[in-house]
Amino acid sequence: MTLTLAIHSSKGGTGKTSIAMNLAVAFASAGKNTCLIDLDLRGPSLCSMFEPKSHFWINDFLSGKCSIKDTLTDVKGEMDTKAHLYLSFSNPDIREIRDLVSKDRDWQASALKALMNGKRELSEKDLDVIIFDTSPGVEYESINAVAASDVVIIVHNDTNACTSCTEQLINGVYSLLDKKCGIIDNMSHNNCLDMIDKKRYGVPVLATIPCMCEIATRGKNEILVHTEPEHLFSKSIISIKEKIEAMK
Amino acid sequence: MDSELLEQIVTNLKDINSKLDKLIVQVENRDEQITEKERIMADSLDVITLLSLPDHLRTTATTLFEIGPATADEISKITNKERAVESNYLNQLVRMNHVRKYREGRKVYFRINDSLKKK
Repeated sequence: MTLTLAIHSSKGGTGKTSIAMNLAVAFASAGKNTCLIDLDLRGPSLCSMFEPKSHFWINDFLSGKCSIKDTLTDVKGEMDTKAHLYLSFSNPDIREIRDLVSKDRDWQASALKALMNGKRELSEKDLDVIIFDTSPGVEYESINAVAASDVVIIVHNDTNACTSCTEQLINGVYSLLDKKCGIIDNMSHNNCLDMIDKKRYGVPVLATIPCMCEIATRGKNEILVHTEPEHLFSKSIISIKEKIEAMK
Repeated sequence: MDSELLEQIVTNLKDINSKLDKLIVQVENRDEQITEKERIMADSLDVITLLSLPDHLRTTATTLFEIGPATADEISKITNKERAVESNYLNQLVRMNHVRKYREGRKVYFRINDSLKKK
């Protein structure tokens, strides 16, 4: 049974993408065939770290122009992972993003259907884990990803704005769609390595990752789980991976 | 006199039967026939609309999204509700234009409505 994760947050800049990329590498390194899909269609980021080698973008798949397999680039060799690590990129061309903003709800409805079909297609391809990296807040693209997932990973930082919105998302979106959730406290300023809460808003807190400039500076061109598995951040990611597997 | 009456009753019954058969075919076809106006109005189900559905209908619609076209029986096995209950919910979703109903052989299938305005 394929495990599908949506990495989401109520606000931007909480570290979704770096957690999504590191988690994907962690799963693939542990021998799980993994697919990471950039669904932050308005602010694509996967292409800044990896080079797409496929002819199609995830945007093309959502518009019904190709199959999801046509969008995949395998970086197993590059990342030296035990299992396959497929990436599906979102088109960073500004014309594509402008075009996306003008899409209506009919397009979004068919995009949700496409995403569900893509998930089924990938399960048949023997994928063990699918990770959706999403755009923050309540956007069609991100809620589509949440609806198509089994577990929602909420990347949270300790600001008041983020706190109140996270609670609303849990009660007004994730619970309504019957999703299992887990919170990651990222960039925490409490000088503490242990989890401060075990549960918040009725949802388990999977990890507390302290705020470290190094994660931000090195994370620009490195995937720490790959380059330095002994790093505190990498260890947190591995423990999050194990907790997610236990949730299933 | 008695046999004449009986004969007439039988004839009338046959007549009623054939009329009923015609009616059944008409009712069955009515679901399939969509007028041009309804086609334009056909409403696809997006995720925000899904969120605003009442709980019971949302569970049914989400399940239909997950497994693709299905019968009420298949849905009810996943949601652990009675087949008749799911059938009722699915038909509510059909009336709301979110779900389409179609027939394949003897089975009635439901699927999430497609928008016809393909882009």
